[in-house]
Amino acid sequence: MKLPSLRVNAIAAALVLSAGFALVFFYAPLDADQGFIQKIFYLHVPLSICALAGFIVGGLLAIAHLRTGDPKWDVRSYVAIHLSIIFGVGVLITGSIWAHASWGKWWVWDEPTLVSFLIVFLLYATYYPLRYAIEDRDRQGRYASVFAITAGAFVPLNFIAVRMAQSLVHPRVFATANGGLPGSMLLTFLVCLAGMALLWVALVRFELAAKSASASLARLRRALEGEPEIPAQGSRIAPSVPSGATSVS
Amino acid sequence: MPALPLDEAGKYVAAAYLVFLALILVYVAIMAAKLARIDRELGELADVAEGRTHPAANPPGADAGAGQDAGGGAEGNVFERERSSREELV
Repeated sequence: MKLPSLRVNAIAAALVLSAGFALVFFYAPLDADQGFIQKIFYLHVPLSICALAGFIVGGLLAIAHLRTGDPKWDVRSYVAIHLSIIFGVGVLITGSIWAHASWGKWWVWDEPTLVSFLIVFLLYATYYPLRYAIEDRDRQGRYASVFAITAGAFVPLNFIAVRMAQSLVHPRVFATANGGLPGSMLLTFLVCLAGMALLWVALVRFELAAKSASASLARLRRALEGEPEIPAQGSRIAPSVPSGATSVS
Repeated sequence: MPALPLDEAGKYVAAAYLVFLALILVYVAIMAAKLARIDRELGELADVAEGRTHPAANPPGADAGAGQDAGGGAEGNVFERERSSREELV
Protein backbone atom coordinates (compact mmCIF):
# COMPACT_ATOMS: atom_id res chain seq x y z
CA MET A 1 0.00 0.00 0.00
CA LYS A 2 1.36 3.36 -1.01
CA LEU A 3 1.12 5.93 1.75
CA PRO A 4 0.70 9.62 0.98
CA SER A 5 3.89 11.62 1.07
CA LEU A 6 5.36 12.76 4.35
CA ARG A 7 4.49 16.35 3.51
CA VAL A 8 0.83 15.49 2.91
CA ASN A 9 0.85 13.43 6.10
CA ALA A 10 2.28 16.32 8.13
CA ILE A 11 -0.13 18.87 6.68
CA ALA A 12 -3.08 16.56 7.33
CA ALA A 13 -1.91 16.07 10.92
CA ALA A 14 -1.61 19.81 11.48
CA LEU A 15 -5.02 20.51 9.94
CA VAL A 16 -6.92 17.75 11.73
CA LEU A 17 -5.26 18.49 15.07
CA SER A 18 -5.96 22.21 14.70
CA ALA A 19 -9.56 21.43 13.81
CA GLY A 20 -9.81 19.16 16.82
CA PHE A 21 -8.45 21.78 19.21
CA ALA A 22 -10.80 24.37 17.67
CA LEU A 23 -13.69 22.01 18.38
CA VAL A 24 -12.43 21.58 21.94
CA PHE A 25 -12.64 25.27 22.73
CA PHE A 26 -15.45 26.48 20.46
CA TYR A 27 -17.80 23.53 20.01
CA ALA A 28 -17.59 20.93 22.77
CA PRO A 29 -19.77 21.83 25.75
CA LEU A 30 -18.40 22.31 29.24
CA ASP A 31 -18.46 19.19 31.34
CA ALA A 32 -21.18 19.37 33.98
CA ASP A 33 -18.94 17.90 36.67
CA GLN A 34 -15.43 19.19 35.95
CA GLY A 35 -16.17 22.32 33.98
CA PHE A 36 -13.43 23.89 31.87
CA ILE A 37 -10.66 21.68 33.26
CA GLN A 38 -12.16 18.72 31.39
CA LYS A 39 -10.77 20.25 28.16
CA ILE A 40 -7.49 18.51 29.02
CA PHE A 41 -9.29 15.23 28.32
CA TYR A 42 -9.18 15.91 24.56
CA LEU A 43 -5.40 16.17 24.70
CA HIS A 44 -4.48 13.70 27.42
CA VAL A 45 -6.54 10.70 26.28
CA PRO A 46 -5.65 10.78 22.56
CA LEU A 47 -1.99 11.14 23.56
CA SER A 48 -2.21 8.10 25.82
CA ILE A 49 -4.11 6.02 23.25
CA CYS A 50 -1.52 6.84 20.58
CA ALA A 51 1.35 6.10 22.96
CA LEU A 52 -0.06 2.72 23.96
CA ALA A 53 -1.04 1.84 20.38
CA GLY A 54 2.45 2.86 19.30
CA PHE A 55 3.98 0.45 21.77
CA ILE A 56 1.84 -2.33 20.30
CA VAL A 57 2.79 -1.30 16.76
CA GLY A 58 6.43 -1.44 17.84
CA GLY A 59 5.84 -5.01 18.98
CA LEU A 60 4.18 -5.97 15.69
CA LEU A 61 7.07 -4.48 13.72
CA ALA A 62 9.45 -6.41 15.95
CA ILE A 63 7.59 -9.62 15.04
CA ALA A 64 8.19 -8.76 11.38
CA HIS A 65 11.87 -8.28 12.20
CA LEU A 66 12.21 -11.65 13.89
CA ARG A 67 10.26 -13.41 11.12
CA THR A 68 12.20 -11.91 8.23
CA GLY A 69 15.53 -10.97 9.80
CA ASP A 70 15.36 -7.74 7.82
CA PRO A 71 16.89 -4.89 9.88
CA LYS A 72 14.49 -2.35 8.41
CA TRP A 73 11.74 -3.73 10.65
CA ASP A 74 13.99 -3.30 13.65
CA VAL A 75 14.54 0.35 12.76
CA ARG A 76 10.82 0.89 12.34
CA SER A 77 10.08 -0.84 15.63
CA TYR A 78 12.70 1.32 17.36
CA VAL A 79 11.28 4.54 15.94
CA ALA A 80 7.69 3.57 16.82
CA ILE A 81 8.69 2.88 20.42
CA HIS A 82 10.84 6.02 20.56
CA LEU A 83 7.96 8.24 19.48
CA SER A 84 5.57 6.46 21.83
CA ILE A 85 7.88 7.15 24.75
CA ILE A 86 7.90 10.84 23.81
CA PHE A 87 4.11 10.77 23.69
CA GLY A 88 4.19 8.95 27.02
CA VAL A 89 6.10 11.85 28.56
CA GLY A 90 3.30 14.10 27.33
CA VAL A 91 0.70 11.78 28.84
CA LEU A 92 2.36 11.83 32.25
CA ILE A 93 2.82 15.61 32.31
CA THR A 94 -0.67 16.49 31.06
CA GLY A 95 -2.16 13.85 33.34
CA SER A 96 -0.37 15.32 36.33
CA ILE A 97 -1.63 18.79 35.48
CA TRP A 98 -5.17 17.47 35.17
CA ALA A 99 -4.81 15.51 38.39
CA HIS A 100 -3.65 18.56 40.31
CA ALA A 101 -6.52 20.62 38.97
CA SER A 102 -9.14 17.94 39.65
CA TRP A 103 -7.90 16.13 42.74
CA GLY A 104 -5.49 18.63 44.27
CA LYS A 105 -2.56 16.21 43.89
CA TRP A 106 0.01 15.85 41.13
CA TRP A 107 0.01 12.07 41.46
CA VAL A 108 -2.17 9.44 43.14
CA TRP A 109 -0.41 6.18 43.88
CA ASP A 110 -3.49 4.10 44.64
CA GLU A 111 -5.11 4.76 41.28
CA PRO A 112 -4.62 1.75 38.94
CA THR A 113 -4.84 3.72 35.70
CA LEU A 114 -2.05 6.11 36.61
CA VAL A 115 0.25 3.55 38.14
CA SER A 116 -0.24 1.05 35.32
CA PHE A 117 0.64 3.65 32.72
CA LEU A 118 3.71 4.61 34.73
CA ILE A 119 4.72 0.93 34.86
CA VAL A 120 4.35 0.61 31.09
CA PHE A 121 6.29 3.84 30.58
CA LEU A 122 9.13 2.76 32.87
CA LEU A 123 9.16 -0.66 31.23
CA TYR A 124 9.73 0.95 27.86
CA ALA A 125 12.26 3.35 29.36
CA THR A 126 14.48 0.29 29.85
CA TYR A 127 14.38 -0.31 26.08
CA TYR A 128 17.15 2.25 25.52
CA PRO A 129 19.67 0.82 28.00
CA LEU A 130 18.88 -2.65 26.65
CA ARG A 131 19.90 -1.60 23.17
CA TYR A 132 22.80 0.46 24.48
CA ALA A 133 24.21 -2.47 26.44
CA ILE A 134 24.63 -4.70 23.38
CA GLU A 135 27.46 -3.94 20.99
CA ASP A 136 26.72 -6.45 18.27
CA ARG A 137 24.11 -5.02 15.91
CA ASP A 138 22.43 -8.32 15.07
CA ARG A 139 22.09 -9.37 18.68
CA GLN A 140 20.99 -5.87 19.59
CA GLY A 141 18.20 -6.01 17.02
CA ARG A 142 17.07 -9.49 18.05
CA TYR A 143 17.06 -8.74 21.77
CA ALA A 144 15.31 -5.43 21.24
CA SER A 145 12.67 -7.16 19.12
CA VAL A 146 12.07 -9.80 21.78
CA PHE A 147 11.71 -7.03 24.33
CA ALA A 148 9.35 -5.06 22.07
CA ILE A 149 7.13 -8.11 21.49
CA THR A 150 6.98 -9.05 25.17
CA ALA A 151 6.35 -5.52 26.33
CA GLY A 152 3.89 -4.95 23.49
CA ALA A 153 1.89 -7.97 24.63
CA PHE A 154 1.95 -6.59 28.16
CA VAL A 155 0.25 -3.34 27.08
CA PRO A 156 -3.23 -4.76 26.24
CA LEU A 157 -3.05 -7.18 29.18
CA ASN A 158 -2.29 -4.26 31.43
CA PHE A 159 -5.14 -2.26 29.92
CA ILE A 160 -7.63 -5.08 30.48
CA ALA A 161 -6.45 -5.57 34.05
CA VAL A 162 -6.91 -1.90 34.79
CA ARG A 163 -10.41 -1.87 33.27
CA MET A 164 -11.33 -4.78 35.52
CA ALA A 165 -9.90 -3.10 38.60
CA GLN A 166 -12.04 -1.05 40.93
CA SER A 167 -11.14 2.51 40.17
CA LEU A 168 -11.06 5.01 42.99
CA VAL A 169 -11.01 8.38 41.34
CA HIS A 170 -9.97 8.11 37.68
CA PRO A 171 -13.06 8.36 35.47
CA ARG A 172 -14.18 5.62 33.10
CA VAL A 173 -15.57 7.32 30.05
CA PHE A 174 -15.93 4.71 27.33
CA ALA A 175 -18.02 1.54 27.32
CA THR A 176 -19.17 1.80 30.89
CA ALA A 177 -22.66 1.62 32.26
CA ASN A 178 -22.48 5.07 33.82
CA GLY A 179 -20.20 6.69 31.32
CA GLY A 180 -20.42 7.59 27.69
CA LEU A 181 -19.80 10.88 25.99
CA PRO A 182 -22.54 13.00 24.45
CA GLY A 183 -22.36 13.29 20.67
CA SER A 184 -20.62 16.68 20.48
CA MET A 185 -17.94 15.62 22.95
CA LEU A 186 -17.46 12.28 21.19
CA LEU A 187 -17.06 13.98 17.81
CA THR A 188 -14.51 16.39 19.27
CA PHE A 189 -12.65 13.55 20.89
CA LEU A 190 -12.56 11.48 17.71
CA VAL A 191 -11.22 14.40 15.66
CA CYS A 192 -8.51 14.98 18.28
CA LEU A 193 -7.70 11.27 18.29
CA ALA A 194 -7.44 11.20 14.49
CA GLY A 195 -5.21 14.28 14.53
CA MET A 196 -2.97 12.81 17.21
CA ALA A 197 -2.69 9.52 15.30
CA LEU A 198 -1.77 11.40 12.13
CA LEU A 199 0.82 13.36 14.10
CA TRP A 200 2.31 10.16 15.48
CA VAL A 201 2.54 8.64 12.00
CA ALA A 202 4.03 11.84 10.57
CA LEU A 203 6.67 12.03 13.29
CA VAL A 204 7.56 8.36 12.85
CA ARG A 205 8.00 8.88 9.12
CA PHE A 206 9.96 12.09 9.75
CA GLU A 207 12.35 10.27 12.06
CA LEU A 208 12.70 7.35 9.62
CA ALA A 209 13.43 9.81 6.81
CA ALA A 210 16.10 11.51 8.94
CA LYS A 211 17.66 8.16 9.82
CA SER A 212 17.62 7.10 6.20
CA ALA A 213 19.22 10.36 5.09
CA SER A 214 21.89 9.96 7.75
CA ALA A 215 22.60 6.38 6.68
CA SER A 216 22.69 7.38 3.00
CA LEU A 217 25.16 10.11 3.87
CA ALA A 218 27.40 7.62 5.66
CA ARG A 219 27.29 5.26 2.67
CA LEU A 220 28.03 8.14 0.34
CA ARG A 221 31.00 9.17 2.44
CA ARG A 222 32.34 5.62 2.40
CA ALA A 223 31.82 5.39 -1.37
CA LEU A 224 33.67 8.63 -1.96
CA GLU A 225 36.47 7.67 0.38
CA GLY A 226 36.78 4.34 -1.39
CA GLU A 227 36.12 2.34 1.74
CA PRO A 228 34.27 -0.97 1.51
CA GLU A 229 30.67 -1.14 2.67
CA ILE A 230 30.89 -2.23 6.27
CA PRO A 231 28.06 -3.00 8.63
CA ALA A 232 27.55 -0.38 11.28
CA GLN A 233 29.26 -1.26 14.53
CA GLY A 234 29.73 0.40 17.86
CA SER A 235 27.65 1.53 20.72
CA ARG A 236 25.26 3.95 19.10
CA ILE A 237 21.91 3.56 20.72
CA ALA A 238 19.78 3.90 17.60
CA PRO A 239 19.88 1.17 15.01
CA SER A 240 21.34 2.14 11.68
CA VAL A 241 19.31 1.96 8.55
CA PRO A 242 20.58 -0.80 6.28
CA SER A 243 20.90 -0.43 2.53
CA GLY A 244 17.57 -0.82 0.81
CA ALA A 245 15.61 -0.27 4.00
CA THR A 246 14.79 3.32 3.38
CA SER A 247 11.21 3.05 2.27
CA VAL A 248 8.70 3.78 4.97
CA SER A 249 5.60 3.18 2.93
CA MET B 1 -14.76 17.93 43.99
CA PRO B 2 -16.55 20.98 42.55
CA ALA B 3 -15.43 22.35 39.20
CA LEU B 4 -12.69 24.95 39.34
CA PRO B 5 -13.65 28.50 38.38
CA LEU B 6 -12.76 29.39 34.82
CA ASP B 7 -9.90 31.72 35.71
CA GLU B 8 -8.20 29.00 37.73
CA ALA B 9 -9.01 26.10 35.39
CA GLY B 10 -7.83 28.13 32.42
CA LYS B 11 -4.27 28.16 33.76
CA TYR B 12 -4.18 24.39 34.04
CA VAL B 13 -5.71 23.85 30.61
CA ALA B 14 -3.30 26.34 29.04
CA ALA B 15 -0.39 24.66 30.81
CA ALA B 16 -1.38 21.22 29.52
CA TYR B 17 -1.73 22.36 25.92
CA LEU B 18 1.48 24.42 26.11
CA VAL B 19 3.38 21.40 27.46
CA PHE B 20 2.18 19.39 24.47
CA LEU B 21 3.16 22.17 22.08
CA ALA B 22 6.56 22.54 23.73
CA LEU B 23 7.16 18.80 23.54
CA ILE B 24 6.45 18.71 19.83
CA LEU B 25 8.48 21.87 19.18
CA VAL B 26 11.49 20.55 21.08
CA TYR B 27 11.32 17.28 19.15
CA VAL B 28 11.01 19.07 15.81
CA ALA B 29 13.88 21.42 16.76
CA ILE B 30 16.14 18.47 17.58
CA MET B 31 15.22 16.79 14.31
CA ALA B 32 15.77 20.04 12.41
CA ALA B 33 19.25 20.33 13.94
CA LYS B 34 20.01 16.77 12.83
CA LEU B 35 18.79 17.48 9.32
CA ALA B 36 20.84 20.69 9.21
CA ARG B 37 23.93 18.67 10.13
CA ILE B 38 23.13 16.11 7.42
CA ASP B 39 22.63 18.91 4.92
CA ARG B 40 25.98 20.48 5.87
CA GLU B 41 27.82 17.17 5.59
CA LEU B 42 26.14 16.48 2.26
CA GLY B 43 27.38 19.83 1.02
CA GLU B 44 30.92 18.94 2.13
CA LEU B 45 30.70 15.61 0.29
CA ALA B 46 29.37 17.33 -2.79
CA ASP B 47 32.42 19.62 -2.69
CA VAL B 48 34.71 16.59 -2.42
CA ALA B 49 32.94 14.89 -5.33
CA GLU B 50 33.13 18.01 -7.47
CA GLY B 51 36.82 18.29 -6.65
CA ARG B 52 37.34 14.76 -7.99
CA THR B 53 35.15 15.31 -11.01
CA HIS B 54 37.13 18.45 -11.88
CA PRO B 55 40.58 17.46 -10.58
CA ALA B 56 42.39 20.50 -11.90
CA ALA B 57 39.91 22.74 -10.11
CA ASN B 58 39.18 24.80 -13.19
CA PRO B 59 42.67 25.28 -14.62
CA PRO B 60 43.15 28.30 -16.85
CA GLY B 61 41.41 27.78 -20.15
CA ALA B 62 39.57 24.69 -19.00
CA ASP B 63 35.94 24.30 -19.90
CA ALA B 64 33.70 24.32 -16.83
CA GLY B 65 31.64 21.48 -18.26
CA ALA B 66 34.61 19.24 -19.03
CA GLY B 67 35.94 16.45 -16.87
CA GLN B 68 33.02 14.06 -16.95
CA ASP B 69 35.31 11.04 -16.98
CA ALA B 70 34.46 7.53 -15.98
CA GLY B 71 35.24 8.18 -12.31
CA GLY B 72 33.08 11.27 -12.28
CA GLY B 73 30.28 9.35 -13.86
CA ALA B 74 30.55 6.69 -11.18
CA GLU B 75 30.41 9.32 -8.46
CA GLY B 76 27.45 10.86 -10.21
CA ASN B 77 25.79 7.47 -10.07
CA VAL B 78 26.46 7.31 -6.34
CA PHE B 79 24.71 10.63 -5.90
CA GLU B 80 21.90 9.50 -8.14
CA ARG B 81 21.42 6.31 -6.12
CA GLU B 82 21.43 8.18 -2.84
CA ARG B 83 18.97 10.75 -4.13
CA SER B 84 16.55 8.12 -5.43
CA SER B 85 16.93 6.26 -2.15
CA ARG B 86 15.86 9.33 -0.21
CA GLU B 87 13.03 10.03 -2.59
CA GLU B 88 11.56 6.64 -1.73
CA LEU B 89 10.87 7.97 1.74
CA VAL B 90 8.49 10.69 0.85
